[in-house]
Amino acid sequence: MKLRILLADDHEIVRKGLVALLQKREGWEICGEASDGREALEMAKQLKPDVVIVDIGMPFLNGLDTTRQLIELDPSFKVIVLTITDSDQVIREALDAGARGFVLKSDAARDLVSAVEAIQSKRMFFTPRVNDLVLQGFLDKGHAVSRNVAPNLPILTAREREVTQLLAEGKSSKEVATLLNLSTKTVETHRSNIMRKLSLHSIRDLVVYAIKNNIIQIQMPPQPSTPTPNGTPQTTVV
Amino acid sequence: MVSEGYGQGSKKASMAVRILLVDDHPVVRQGLRTLLEGRTEWEVAGEASDGLEAVEKVNALHPDVVVLDITMPRMNGIEACRVIKEKKPGVEVLFVTQHDSPQMMREALAAGARGYVVKSNLARDLLEAVEEVSQHRVFTALAHNPNTAN
Repeated sequence: MKLRILLADDHEIVRKGLVALLQKREGWEICGEASDGREALEMAKQLKPDVVIVDIGMPFLNGLDTTRQLIELDPSFKVIVLTITDSDQVIREALDAGARGFVLKSDAARDLVSAVEAIQSKRMFFTPRVNDLVLQGFLDKGHAVSRNVAPNLPILTAREREVTQLLAEGKSSKEVATLLNLSTKTVETHRSNIMRKLSLHSIRDLVVYAIKNNIIQIQMPPQPSTPTPNGTPQTTVV
Repeated sequence: MVSEGYGQGSKKASMAVRILLVDDHPVVRQGLRTLLEGRTEWEVAGEASDGLEAVEKVNALHPDVVVLDITMPRMNGIEACRVIKEKKPGVEVLFVTQHDSPQMMREALAAGARGYVVKSNLARDLLEAVEEVSQHRVFTALAHNPNTAN
């Protein structure tokens, strides 16, 4: 019986690279490809994959919240998180969300096959940095890294985090309502609750909060060597 | 350093368009290769993982087209493009980037690139862009405004 893998990344070029990498392995099958977190959730419900590989920086629903919702939906889902950064905070949130593997995108060609193999063998797979942090948490119980440690987003509900991401991506309350199949009034209520809970006063504050807490990710213009244009950071990936 | 040409290349016609892939993420290079290798008249001559390595590989492999990322370590793509065009003016550069920005696109073209496409739309734009750029024609397409500068 083949190991069925669902891929979720908003860049088709990355998905093609991952497919090329993974389908070389006999006995593994890419059962689906999703281009955002919401699509990944729907596909996971339908396809019941053995492994779900999720990029963190996806639109509509980021990879961390996708992981949280997948595990809530069915704790037997095995999720590997793909990320461009292995900051302490991202590691903690990924572990807290229930990820069983953590692979840096830059090392995916080297590590992803090993990560899937580990999951297949009912083990976990982490980068050396994650292992160090977990070990440090074990040695220093005051800063333990475990699923019981509250992440930096303790006071928002899952729905509020979804609304936060969509608002931070620049969507209006009406657009958020359509995407989440809610009334605009309900979205406005969520929005008020979010702003109150986080003591924020503007959408700008909300965007900053979303970036700081990995709800959305930003891509900065390249570092010179060369002058760069005066563009603002763009949300996303790769 | 990343690998140079792959076995298939030597079997291809001598007039094949030779392409150098430059991106710091191996998975992205693999995705580009998968898309490009569907065309028998094109040959992926090699890969590089940053701008400096790209300049070296252009000298060594003599590609016709360089598919170049912008944000990379050691030397970014804009700077690499300037150096490549200065040393090898006949080599065409196609930027493949996540920067969906008219300003960045202008800067890329000013550096000597012939093409500019964004990663989110590669499935739509890449093959046409390589086709056009290899014929020394301009091809640019931002995510929401294809053919921006055509």
